[in-house]
Amino acid sequence: MSNEETLFEAARNLASAAARRAFLDQACADAPELRVRIEALLESGTEVESFFKDAVRFDLTPLDSLVESRDNRNLEFPLAEGLGTRIGRYKLLQKIGEGGGGIIYMAEQQEPVRRRVALKIIKLGMDTKSVIARFEAERQALAMMDHQNIARVFDAGATETGRPYFVMELVRGVKITEYCDQNNLDTRQRLDLFIQICHAIQHAHQKGIIHRDIKPSNVLVTLHDGVPVPKVIDFGIAKAIQVQLTDKTLFTSYEQIIGTPAYMSPEQAALSGLDVDTRSDIYSLGVLLYELLTSKTPFDPKKLLQHGLDEMRRTLREQEPQRPSTMVTTLQGAELTTTAENRHAEPPKLITLLRGDLDWIVMKALEKDRRRRYETANGLAMDIQRYLGSEPVVARPPTRLYRLQKLVRRNKGVFLAGGAVAAALLIGLAISTRLFFLEKAARQRAVAAEEQAELARVNEAQLRRLAETREKITQATVLINQEKFDEADQLMDGVSVTQPTVEGSIVFRALGEYHALRSNWKDAAARFNVLVQIDQLDGWDACTLDYLRYGPTLIEQGDFDGYENFRQAAIAHFNSGKYPFADRIVKISLLVPANENLLKSLEPLVGVTTQSIATNEDANADIFLAAWRSVSTALVEYRRGNFERAAGWCQQSLNYPEHIAPRTATARIILAMADQKLGKINEARSQLEEAREIIENKFNSQLDLGTPMQGFWFDWEFARILLNEATALIAGNPKNLQNL
Amino acid sequence: MHYRNAKGNLIYSMSDITQVLQAIRSGDGRASEELLPLVYSELRQLAAARMNNETAGQTLQATALVHEAWLRMVGDNNRTWQNRAHFFGAAAEAMRRILVENARRKSRLKRGGGQTRLDIDDLDLVATSPDDKVLLMDEALEQLRTQDPEKARIVVMKFFGGLTNQEVAENLGVTERTVERQWAYAKAWLFQHIQGQL
Repeated sequence: MSNEETLFEAARNLASAAARRAFLDQACADAPELRVRIEALLESGTEVESFFKDAVRFDLTPLDSLVESRDNRNLEFPLAEGLGTRIGRYKLLQKIGEGGGGIIYMAEQQEPVRRRVALKIIKLGMDTKSVIARFEAERQALAMMDHQNIARVFDAGATETGRPYFVMELVRGVKITEYCDQNNLDTRQRLDLFIQICHAIQHAHQKGIIHRDIKPSNVLVTLHDGVPVPKVIDFGIAKAIQVQLTDKTLFTSYEQIIGTPAYMSPEQAALSGLDVDTRSDIYSLGVLLYELLTSKTPFDPKKLLQHGLDEMRRTLREQEPQRPSTMVTTLQGAELTTTAENRHAEPPKLITLLRGDLDWIVMKALEKDRRRRYETANGLAMDIQRYLGSEPVVARPPTRLYRLQKLVRRNKGVFLAGGAVAAALLIGLAISTRLFFLEKAARQRAVAAEEQAELARVNEAQLRRLAETREKITQATVLINQEKFDEADQLMDGVSVTQPTVEGSIVFRALGEYHALRSNWKDAAARFNVLVQIDQLDGWDACTLDYLRYGPTLIEQGDFDGYENFRQAAIAHFNSGKYPFADRIVKISLLVPANENLLKSLEPLVGVTTQSIATNEDANADIFLAAWRSVSTALVEYRRGNFERAAGWCQQSLNYPEHIAPRTATARIILAMADQKLGKINEARSQLEEAREIIENKFNSQLDLGTPMQGFWFDWEFARILLNEATALIAGNPKNLQNL
Repeated sequence: MHYRNAKGNLIYSMSDITQVLQAIRSGDGRASEELLPLVYSELRQLAAARMNNETAGQTLQATALVHEAWLRMVGDNNRTWQNRAHFFGAAAEAMRRILVENARRKSRLKRGGGQTRLDIDDLDLVATSPDDKVLLMDEALEQLRTQDPEKARIVVMKFFGGLTNQEVAENLGVTERTVERQWAYAKAWLFQHIQGQL
C-alpha cells in the first residue's frame, strides 16, 4: 500500500473534518504536495458517492435509431449535406466543422471574385431577421478590420430555409491549444503566439469591435511558410446571434448558444444586460493564456454548470481561481507529466517558470472587477513582452527585492563581473605585501566595480520610476473611464513618459482635451506635449491629429517661442517619409506667418499634399480629404506671398459639394486675406464677415470634442486664430475679438 | 464443446459453463480465461436483443444484464458462492468490454461516420450520458491498471459487474475489509482523474 493510500485510509476514517485536518497537519508536515493530493481525494467524497451510486447503466438506444436520427437532422437542413448546392453567391464544397451552434462549410464564391470561403450556417431556431440586422449594424466596422491575425468576415445572409449564415475568410488550421500540444511548444513559444492574438484583439477593439467569444476553438493556427500564424475567427458573430438569454434557454441550450462558460467574464455571465465592453475580451484572453500555460481553464467547465446557474455566476463573480503555478501542482501523475512534456519542460521546471510574473499577469487579466484588469489587450501583450525581456511587469506591485531580482537577471553579466571583481580584490589584498602591483590593479578594478554598482543603482531608480509611471497611467485610465478628469489630471501632473504606451497616449489625449475645452491652455499644452512625445516613441504615423491638437494651445496661451519649436520639430519629424497626412503638418506649421527657411523646409510635405489632392480626385473621389488639403495648400501659397494661387485653392476648396463649417470658415478667411493683399478690399470684407459669423456662432456655445463631419474642436480653434490675423489685417485692429 | 449456428453466432452448452466453473474451483488457472469468451458472447447477445426492442434514451443497469446472463447460463440451481463469484468476475470484465465497444460505436455514429472534422466545441455541458460515463471511466481505469492492477480488477467487478464486496473478496481471495478499503481509494482516485480529463 502506498504512503498516500495509507494516509488517505486513515484520514477517511476520522469522524470530523477538523480531526482530519489535524491529522494531516502532522502526517504531511514535510510533504505539502502529498497533502494537497490527499485533500483532493478526501474532498470529492460526496461527489464520488453520487457518481458511483448507480452502477454503470447501459444506454439502450438502438444503433439503427442513431443512424436514423442523423438522417433526420439532414432533413432539418435540406441543404446541409447537399454539397454542390448554392447558398446566395456561394457553392458548398465540403463540410469542415460543426459546433458553436452552427455547421461550417468550405464554399466557393464565384463573383465578384472567385475564392474559397468558410460559410457558417447557424442551426438554432432564431430570429434570422434580427440576426442579420445586428450583423448589418456592425458590418462597416467589421469591414474596417484588416489584420493578419484576424479572419475577415465578408458577408451574412439567410438560407432558403431561413437560417442565418455568415461568410468568412477560410482558415485551414487547428485549435491553438491543440497546435501547441501537438508541437510541444514551450512556454516562450506559446507566449509569442499569444502576444499576436492580443494584437489582433487590440486591432479589433480599436475599430470598436468586441469579440465576446474568445476561446481556443475560435483561435486557429495555420502555417505560413512553416511559421505558425494564429488567426482569430468568428468576429461579430457572437454579437449578431446574441439571444435574449433567460435562465431557461441558458440551461437547456447553453452549449449551442454560447459554448462553454469557462471563458466567460463574470459580467457576461451575470446576464444583467449590463454593457459588455472590451475588458470582457481581456478576461477571456486571460482564460486562454491560463489554458495555454497550464492545460486547464481556471474553473472546471463541467463543474461550473453542475450546481446550476446561480452557483456558476457566484463562482465566476466571487471565487478566486488558483494561480496557474498552483493549478499545475495539483495535476495528478500522468497528467502532470503530459502537461509538462507538451510544454517541453520537466514538471518542477514548469511550475517554477509559471510562479511569479506569469501568475500575476494571468491573474490581472482574470480580475473579477474589470476596472482592475489590463485596460487594453495591448497592455496585456506588453506586460508579457516585459516578462520575456526580464523587465518588471505591471501586474505586480513592485517590491525592492523583486526589482533587484529583475535587475540581476537582466544584467547577469554585470553582476557576475562585480562578484568576480570583489573576489579578485580580496585575493589581491592578501598578497599585496609581496606583490604591490597586483594590489594596484585590484584597486583599479575596485573602482570599476564601484562605478558599476553606481550604474546599477541608477538603473534601479529608473526601473522604479518606469514602474510607477505605468501604475499611474493604469490608474488614470480607470479614472478617465469614470470621467474623473481632475483626479486623473492630478495623478499625471509632472509625469514624463519614456516608453511607448497606448494607455498613456489615451490618458494624455483625454486630459489635454479636457483642459482645452475649458480654455486652460497652459495645462492643455503641457499634456499634449507629453502626448506628442509618446506618439514619437511609438513610431506611429497616424498621430498627425495630435499635432493639430497641440499647436493651437501654444498660440492661445501666447507661447510663440514654444510654437516655433513645435513646428520646427514637427516638420523635422515628418519630413523623413511620405506620410499620408502631410497636409495636416503643413497646415499646423503655418498657423502664424513663417520665414523663408521654414517655408523651404516645408516643401517636401507640400509636395506630398498637392500630389495627394490629385489622387483623391482621380482614384478615390475622396472629396472630404481633398477639400481639407486644398485649404492647407491655400495657406502655404498665402504664406509664400502667392496671393492669386492662394485665392484659387480657397475657391477650389469652397467649390467641393460637402461643407464642413470650420473648413469653410478657414477657406473664407484665407481668401479674405489674399483678396485684401490683391487690393480687392470689398470682397475681402464680405468674405471675412461670412467667416466671422460662422465662427462667432460656434463659440457662443460650449465647444465640444466634435466629429470629423462637424469638425473637431481644434479645427474651430484653428479657424479662430486665423480669424484674428485676418481681422488685424483687414480692419486694422482685432476689434471685438478679444472676448471670442 | 461449442459450435456455431447458421447465423454464425456462438452456441454453447450449459455444460461448458459448469465444466469451466468446476475447473476454476479445482484451481485450474487457465479455466478462468475460457470463461470470459463464453460469458462475453452471451452478454452481447442479451444486450443486442434488448437494444432491438428499446427506443432511444432508455437505460438499463448493466448488472441486471449480468444477473440475467447468470440465470440463463448457469441456472438457479448452482448457487455456491465461489461459482457465482468467478462467473460474475468474468461477466464484469465482459460487460466492460461490451459497454466500451457500444459507447465507442455510438459516439462515432453520433459524430458522423468517422469523418475528420474540426472539433469546434468538444465540451458537453449537459450531464454525462451513460455512454460518456463508460468511456471516461474506462480511460481512467486504464491508467489505474498501470499503477495498481488489483485495484483495477476491483473497479471492474464493482462498477461494471455490480458485485458485492463479499463476491469480490471471494473472487480475489482477500478479506472484505480489504475490498472496501481499496474500493474507497480507487473511487476517489478515479473521480479525480475523470474530473481532470473534462
